[in-house]
Amino acid sequence: MSEYLDPTASVAVPRKTAPRSASLDGKTVTLLDISKAKGDHLLDRIEELLRERARPKAIVRKKKPTFARPAPDGLRTEIVGATDVLIEALAD
Amino acid sequence: MSLLDPEVEGGAIEALYARGVTDGLPVVPPTRERVARAVAACGRARDAVIALVPPNYGPATVEKIAVNAVMAGCRPEYLPVVIAAVEAVCDEAFDLHGVSATTNAPAPLVVVNGPVRAALDINCGAGVFGPGWRANATIGRALRLVCVNVGGATPGVVSMSTLAHPGRYTYCIGEYEEASPWESLCVEHGFAPGRNTVAVLAADAPLGVYDHQSRTPEDLLATIAASLAVVSHHKMTHWGDTLLVLSPEHARIIGDAGWKKADARRWLWERLQRPVRELVPGKDGGEGLPEHVLRKFNDPATETTLIPKFRAPENLKLVVAGGTAGRFSAIVPGWTFSKASALVFRPIHTP
Repeated sequence: MSEYLDPTASVAVPRKTAPRSASLDGKTVTLLDISKAKGDHLLDRIEELLRERARPKAIVRKKKPTFARPAPDGLRTEIVGATDVLIEALAD
Repeated sequence: MSLLDPEVEGGAIEALYARGVTDGLPVVPPTRERVARAVAACGRARDAVIALVPPNYGPATVEKIAVNAVMAGCRPEYLPVVIAAVEAVCDEAFDLHGVSATTNAPAPLVVVNGPVRAALDINCGAGVFGPGWRANATIGRALRLVCVNVGGATPGVVSMSTLAHPGRYTYCIGEYEEASPWESLCVEHGFAPGRNTVAVLAADAPLGVYDHQSRTPEDLLATIAASLAVVSHHKMTHWGDTLLVLSPEHARIIGDAGWKKADARRWLWERLQRPVRELVPGKDGGEGLPEHVLRKFNDPATETTLIPKFRAPENLKLVVAGGTAGRFSAIVPGWTFSKASALVFRPIHTP
């Protein structure tokens, strides 16, 4: 292959998933709605279950302006700096 | 080693396929010489960065685009068109991140305007969406390869379209400006006549509209409107940029009656409005107006307020293309719901 030029420009780095919390007790949990239809239904139910079964410090609801584009930088920074756990809902 | 040694070339074709850098069809092995010829033909520095290609934001240098263009089968002189198309799809307004990652099916359609169509033999006439013209076949293919190899839009890994469509192999047409009664798409959007441009639309496959009997703009546009009404689904509203590709015979029916493009757009836009009561979810299908719109009305099931299919008449983009015989047109729906993609233009810089 060395005589042929590389068509790729790989900048993708292997990503690791964030470490999972052993417990949700005392944690701030952010529920992110990506603005797909019925995403709020799913997150409403998850919030109910979290309040029933865990003792989080807080449950914060956030929403992307549209599912069609990445979350705006401001929203990402806001979430990263203020949450221990993030749950993102895809729906339809 | 000879460049034309069939065994060496064959081995390279297999190796490139095995690396996952093709579209499944054989590619032309991008030898240093072939790539250098393409770079030289565009008159730009090989390491100039044209764009960062979403979703991985890999840098598309002139050389990297040339490698993919060679693989696609482009002649060196096509490279300026491919470069302009790459620039266009990487414009924020195009939302290539969404286009490449969505479960929906859009592929970038490239529409070429200007004298470059004749210079490069870009088909604008018979069989315009079909095979047979090297420029159309390979320019669209090169753009696709850049999206995958530089942007990271690997099908089934990052690019998760449920169905996709054949335009993801290649999707490039010229506008048949000489057969149009109107100004071209790019002139209509502010470019001087004679400029070479590309326009890119995140597009579904073309939907044919057959009408052999209509002889007035009103009759023909009524037929076309009925097909436009089902773009996305029949109760979708507030849609954005969508291309209406009129065959020369169809365009003449409208143009000969003295109608401008704007007249046809306005007529279609007004026709394509439906009362809220016909758009509620559960009536003729589960889809319908979203909750935030329904909340504005006391009783949506009886509400007569009209909701437009397209956000504005200007979202209906008219282009003339195709063979001079045949009363067939095509709708090319955009992936253009609110906050998604839009038609984007770029000038083509030839050396």
